[in-house]
Amino acid sequence: MLQGLELLGQAYLSFLNPLSLAYGLGGALLGIIVGCMPGLSATLCIALLTTLTIKLPANDAILILICSYVGTLYGGSRSAILLNIPGTAANAASCADGYALALRGEAGRAIGIATSGAFCGTLFGVLCLAAFTPTLAEVALSFGAFEFFWLALFGVTMSGSLVGNDPLKGWLMGALGLFVAQIGQEGLYAHDRFTFGLHELSGGIALIPALVGAFGFAEVLTTLADPVERKLVELRDSILPRFREVAQYWRTVLRSGAIGVLTGLLPGVGEDSGAWMSYAAAKATSKERHLFGKGSIDGLMAAETGDMSSIPGHIIPALALGIPGSAPSAVLLAAMILHGIQPGPMLMIEHPQFVYHVVAMTTLATICILIFGLFLVRPLLYVLRIKRNVLMPIIFLLATVGAFATQSRLFDVYSMLAIGVGAFFLRRKGYPMAPFVLGLVLGSLLDKSLRRGLVLSDGSVVPFFTRPICMVLATVTIFTMLLYVPVFNRAVKHGTGALVGSLRSLVGRRG
Amino acid sequence: MSTSQQEPGADSAQHLAAQPASPHSDFVAALIWIGFGIAVAIGSWRMDRLENQDVNPYTVPGLLPGLLGIALIFFGLLLLLRAWRQGALDASTPRATPMSAAERRRLLIVLGLCLTFGIGLVGHGLPFWLAAALFVSTTISILQYPQRRADHQVARGIATAIAIGLGAGLAITLVFQEFFLVRLP
Repeated sequence: MLQGLELLGQAYLSFLNPLSLAYGLGGALLGIIVGCMPGLSATLCIALLTTLTIKLPANDAILILICSYVGTLYGGSRSAILLNIPGTAANAASCADGYALALRGEAGRAIGIATSGAFCGTLFGVLCLAAFTPTLAEVALSFGAFEFFWLALFGVTMSGSLVGNDPLKGWLMGALGLFVAQIGQEGLYAHDRFTFGLHELSGGIALIPALVGAFGFAEVLTTLADPVERKLVELRDSILPRFREVAQYWRTVLRSGAIGVLTGLLPGVGEDSGAWMSYAAAKATSKERHLFGKGSIDGLMAAETGDMSSIPGHIIPALALGIPGSAPSAVLLAAMILHGIQPGPMLMIEHPQFVYHVVAMTTLATICILIFGLFLVRPLLYVLRIKRNVLMPIIFLLATVGAFATQSRLFDVYSMLAIGVGAFFLRRKGYPMAPFVLGLVLGSLLDKSLRRGLVLSDGSVVPFFTRPICMVLATVTIFTMLLYVPVFNRAVKHGTGALVGSLRSLVGRRG
Repeated sequence: MSTSQQEPGADSAQHLAAQPASPHSDFVAALIWIGFGIAVAIGSWRMDRLENQDVNPYTVPGLLPGLLGIALIFFGLLLLLRAWRQGALDASTPRATPMSAAERRRLLIVLGLCLTFGIGLVGHGLPFWLAAALFVSTTISILQYPQRRADHQVARGIATAIAIGLGAGLAITLVFQEFFLVRLP
């Protein structure tokens, strides 16, 4: 405990120098700018910055990436409020109330609430990050191949179920991502799989080019194919953060912070789930629920706090288990590996100080967004006025550089183009990209865990279902998938309805 | 004050992407998924089991890919069944709204320009800043042409596009190559 606090103190002190502060502010500013631009996601921003910062020392590079991650999600609220277009998917829940406030001439107030909600939410998440990551990593030390097999499968299944509107398409994308991860030399015997004699494929499909294709090139095609330009609501009132409203809605802030962190802990679920679940919980309990969707402060506060607190929540499993909570944290995880830090249960043994460095970096990112929320709201609005016809070709340039830079191979540019075109058409048919990314990241872990587990059990699948943690993960995974079967779903709804009814009557009788 | 009236949560990315797929297109997609799953399963079954290296039979390289192939077939069949029950084969079931002619034209132009840049221009001897400037200038000029022509500003539009293209090419080269020491294609 005391050693942890000492390491945390040292981590904070290590970032108190002009260069680190400049990197942090620069990363957050770039993130906010990217977040402001509709369609450009946190995943794309972090993937491009990973290639830009590849030659920097690990701590500086990860600091820039974390600050840009926090900045992007915060910046996304601007376009949600002023354009009614979420800058990132995580800000979609802010659209309804933020835009309604803007139409009433209270755009500045809405931005102020978004800033204070984002600040409090991220700070709440940082506290959880500091408290739970070392504990989870300690628990994860007892995990073996069986547990990691289920964790990987659980992540892809949950991502498929909760991201997008159609679980079946989510699972198909998850399975596709897991399959693409199998291309190239496998981890046990270095045997080439599905390479068709192409030596470039032996190294597999690299994560950064795949992400840049799925989130960058596909977005360029989507945005430029749409001939309609959106128009901006003007900003007239004060944009200062509203901490008085934070005090007024402290229950919403705490509840949304907790929901954000909890959804963040679920592998592959994404920041938008944190926002939507917080919004739904606030709507269910709020005194002003009739205002939800029509400019509710409570609703906007809940959405922004929920999505921002899920960022540290997503980083917790990425650090402690090596399993990312969302697509952006998957890139963050890949960046850590590129810089020689292997996240997972061994992290607290090999690099115990790194977890505390991440806590300090996320705190610095929180302070940076508050600074930009106080001083740079109006100048940053010019970003929203840049024409898409001008911006998107430049984004494509950056995507090409980003795909090439990690390994200096033209093959990665071609992979990016192929995956981008595929992702564009799949997205048009309602297939979500997040499960694909999770599958791509977790495919190797799933493969090694399955085969190692079978060797340990001498071919028996029984330990995959009988070890305590496996039993829980297997039950949740299978239950989640069975919910898609109409007969099972109806039976569960009937059962829970009867249970809630009997509990209500019990409480009513006591009252 | 100018405003646009849209559904809350409407997203530029989702504007095109989130159009609900029709049962018919899901049916066709399901057939493709099943075909792909079968190909993966056959490829995995026929994969070398490394018996000459005497490896443990539970660790053969094709194990997980084979299971994934089966999973793809299974989910594909579920999608096929769902689409069929929703009337995919019924002629009266409405088809998905096709892309408008304007959207299709813009998409083909952008796709053509991006693929030409990514496959033809980059990494084949042309300096990156020049290839980037050519791509950005051409793309902006073409995409803005209808608007510029309506405003009688075609020459000005091309000049602006060239300036932006050169600026972007040089700035990216400078920042990535000189400042952050990243190799460019």
